[in-house]
Amino acid sequence: MIKESSIEQFKQIVGKDNVLTSKESLKSYSYDGTTSWIHEPDVVLFPTSTQEISAIMKIANAEKIPVTPRGGGTNVSGGSVPIEGGIVMCFTKMNKIIKIDKENLTATVEPGVVLMDLNMALAREGLFFPPDPQSFLGATMGGIIAENAGGPACVKYGVTKQYILGLEVVLANGDVVNLGGRTLKNVVGYDLMHIFISSEGTLGIISRAELKLNPLPKAKKTIMAVYADVAVAGESVYRVLENGVIPDKIEFLDNWVINRIEEMMPMGLPKDADAVLLFECDGIPESVEKEVEQIVEITKKHGAIDVRVAKDQAEADRYWLARRAGFAAVFGKAATVLAEDVTVPRNKMPDLIRKCKEVAKKYNLEITVLGHAGDGNLHPSILTDINNKEAYDRALKGLDEIIEATVELGGVLSGEHGIGLEKQKFFRRVIDPNVTNLMKGIKQLVDPNNIMNPGKIW
Amino acid sequence: MDNLKELSKIQQYAAQCMKCGFCSFFCPVYQEERTETSVARGKNYLVREILAGRQEFTKEMADIIGKCLLCKRCVVNCPSKTQIDRVVVGARAEMVNKKGLGFIKDFAFRKVMADRKKFGRYVKLAQKFQWMLPKTEGKIRHLPDFIKGLGKRNIPEIADRFLRDMVKEVNKPQDGKAPVMKIGFFSGCAMDFVAPETGLKIIDFLTKKGVEVVYPQDQNCCGAAIYFSGDFETGRKLAEENIKAFEKFDYVVTGCGTCSSTLKDYAKYLSENEDQQKRYDAFAKKVKDLTEFVVDVMKINLEELKLKKEFEGKTATWHDPCHLVRYQNIKDQPRAILKALKGLKFAEMPNADMCCGMGGSFSVYHYDLTKKIADKKMAGIKATNADIVVTACPGCIINLQDNVIRSKMPQKVYHFLELVE
Ligand SMILES: Cc1cc2nc3c(=O)[nH]c(=O)nc-3n(C[C@H](O)[C@H](O)[C@H](O)COP(=O)(O)OP(=O)(O)OC[C@H]3O[C@@H](n4cnc5c(N)ncnc54)[C@H](O)[C@@H]3O)c2cc1C
Ligand code: SF4
Ligand code: SF4
Ligand code: SF4
Repeated sequence: MIKESSIEQFKQIVGKDNVLTSKESLKSYSYDGTTSWIHEPDVVLFPTSTQEISAIMKIANAEKIPVTPRGGGTNVSGGSVPIEGGIVMCFTKMNKIIKIDKENLTATVEPGVVLMDLNMALAREGLFFPPDPQSFLGATMGGIIAENAGGPACVKYGVTKQYILGLEVVLANGDVVNLGGRTLKNVVGYDLMHIFISSEGTLGIISRAELKLNPLPKAKKTIMAVYADVAVAGESVYRVLENGVIPDKIEFLDNWVINRIEEMMPMGLPKDADAVLLFECDGIPESVEKEVEQIVEITKKHGAIDVRVAKDQAEADRYWLARRAGFAAVFGKAATVLAEDVTVPRNKMPDLIRKCKEVAKKYNLEITVLGHAGDGNLHPSILTDINNKEAYDRALKGLDEIIEATVELGGVLSGEHGIGLEKQKFFRRVIDPNVTNLMKGIKQLVDPNNIMNPGKIW
Repeated sequence: MDNLKELSKIQQYAAQCMKCGFCSFFCPVYQEERTETSVARGKNYLVREILAGRQEFTKEMADIIGKCLLCKRCVVNCPSKTQIDRVVVGARAEMVNKKGLGFIKDFAFRKVMADRKKFGRYVKLAQKFQWMLPKTEGKIRHLPDFIKGLGKRNIPEIADRFLRDMVKEVNKPQDGKAPVMKIGFFSGCAMDFVAPETGLKIIDFLTKKGVEVVYPQDQNCCGAAIYFSGDFETGRKLAEENIKAFEKFDYVVTGCGTCSSTLKDYAKYLSENEDQQKRYDAFAKKVKDLTEFVVDVMKINLEELKLKKEFEGKTATWHDPCHLVRYQNIKDQPRAILKALKGLKFAEMPNADMCCGMGGSFSVYHYDLTKKIADKKMAGIKATNADIVVTACPGCIINLQDNVIRSKMPQKVYHFLELVE
């Protein structure tokens, strides 16, 4: 419980409209994008400046009140769920794009800026922020940085951490530090900035960010390749890359997902295909044409049964809409979804997909797979129901085996969604205790009272 | 659950949401308030909490459920197609069941509206007081609150005579020939009391085209403001009256986008048994919005439509009423009409399908929000440099005109048929 006097102080800091305490409001900040993690905060605060954040943190630190940062609440790991109560510090009202610098290809933003809003503003200047988590309609820059998010375009462009030049961070004790800078190169002491990227809100509050941008590519093309065998599709991915073609996206859908998408919005995906790969190439028009030709040739040579090049942007948009709908297709079909985010070296993808199929058979489970094939990041999802103990136990067993197989194949637990609460169990199992201790040491140093998003990661 | 009759009907829709948060990008209310209870995800979650027995029908809950425009922007953009409109309306209905009408809002004029004659008398009374108030622009004046509950805003003058006092019951084709088609005309309250000239214009247009237009005097309000607020009981009464009034027609045509959608949706919201479902469904099939009636049913050669002289050389922009574009998927027909009118220039505004912020009684209780949402619409209109704004719902016309004046912009807002000779 938070003292009434602290609440009064918060009201003075952020204004009473930016302090929520009603039962209904607390409930509506108790969840994120996961199906199973729920806990109410004691208060929700909406700061709109670094000063306000700092003032709140000073009180929270003195009173030892847990603080859970929250952006769009779209994460799928329990990251923004205030599992120990206390304050949810929500940044949706701190959402100004402070500056777009066309000459230096940079932008300065507040943490609550939604990625789609940013990209719309950038597009007017002929620029874009390349990392593309598929939750761009709701995810904020603070959350994206705190989760080091990445999306399909990661094949060519990489993930968020490659596009952050500088961060302003408010520490647990209210101190404000500036890390990194505004230059592309920067070797001045330890690279502390990167510790805060993917820290999932456990080290400090990101109150401002300096982003690196790219000019918008002049041309784009989408190719859909259809396969009768998942493993063959997996091979196509590294064959394309091996031949020196770097598409900006390579996405993967399995038969189950294809069929659910067709049910929700019929768009002519081949229903009997075992797998579909979506490629997108971008760049200058001539090179895009050339790359598309090569991909068509390579995929055909390596076992695709049908290859289609989207004839215009409208057709391409339909394919990508289907890819985005994949997530909904999965979540709409079961009471509980164990959505994994495992990532393996690219050439091991067929093995992992095969493993998922085996596990599904062995434990009589419905397991679907979609994901970012270009970077080996797959989202196998087990459909189950947490209220049906027998089925749920089977699901957990299956999940264990998938995770173990991932690690054996040289992969990692999470490619982009983070650990939060959802993957803690596995984190403990696979991370070297020495590494965990190093992390804990850093945490102890910057947040000695353990008030920043407590209960997460390890 | 047993005692949550209305909510149990929408449980399946509430269960569809996967909490992705995408709706926040599209929700006009969230875009202003930026809090979770404003957006579909939050509202939906709280309704699920009620269903799970963990949340009561509190005053705050009523406010949260009330603060939705039912614009359906979230619905059409939701990856799992969660029907928040049904969840919200179902929750309102449950609340009315549990707590009575007054709980959500003191909706004094709800009862009045359901009685067409009495409503007319009240409106007449309001009209008598209009002279006391400053005239702002043309037909626009500030009206007293007591009837509107609308606060201080630029709303249209109540007409001297109502449509139903002016039109004959049966209007034969003007060429004296046998009618090519016979339809029942549904005016809707706004066209009846505020813009009867538009109603007359529609009847004139249709009878010129060889249609026999019948105006059944016993038609009532479509029920939008009533059943969308959760008063299903009165809603059913209106549904029955309207179905009866239009029993003998193959087509029920209306020039009000909200009315056409509301009449079509009786089955979706109000039916309680198979018999009702059947009759409401059959009725819905007969209902045509004027835009679709002209283009899809009559299949008028649009090239033959003549632009009125006063609009010659003007640039028009189109506002998509929520009830047309998202409730009925009508967006091409009105554009086809406008683009076919020779002498008129057409300019698409960037946010044509964005809600104007009216949301029926929403604007009565959240006028400040309405204004903020409308400001964005105004920016869109400005960007087109259009001389006139055209739409097909009297509710939108009232709200758009109010905000155009408030924003000191030069445009006038018209019903699309007013442009046609
Ligand atoms: C349908 C769907 C698709 C998705 N697709 C992708 C994808 O393709 N790639 C991907 O990487 N992710 C994806 N995600 C996951 C999620 O959207 C991302 O993790 C996103 O970055 C979260 O942003 P947010 O603003 O919603 O953050 P939140 O969910 O609010 O928070 C996420 C974490 O960041 C912390 N945080 C938030 N703001 C701050 C701040 N200012 N300072 C410090 N910490 C902060 C929170 O405490 C929490 O731990 C998807 C999610 C959904 C629902
Ligand atoms: S977009 Fe749909 S599924 Fe996603 S949170 Fe909103 S209502 Fe739920
Ligand atoms: S119907 Fe409109 S106002 Fe209501 S939640 Fe959906 S987008 Fe928001
Ligand atoms: S919905 Fe509005 S315009 Fe239509 S009849 Fe009812 S009150 Fe009149």
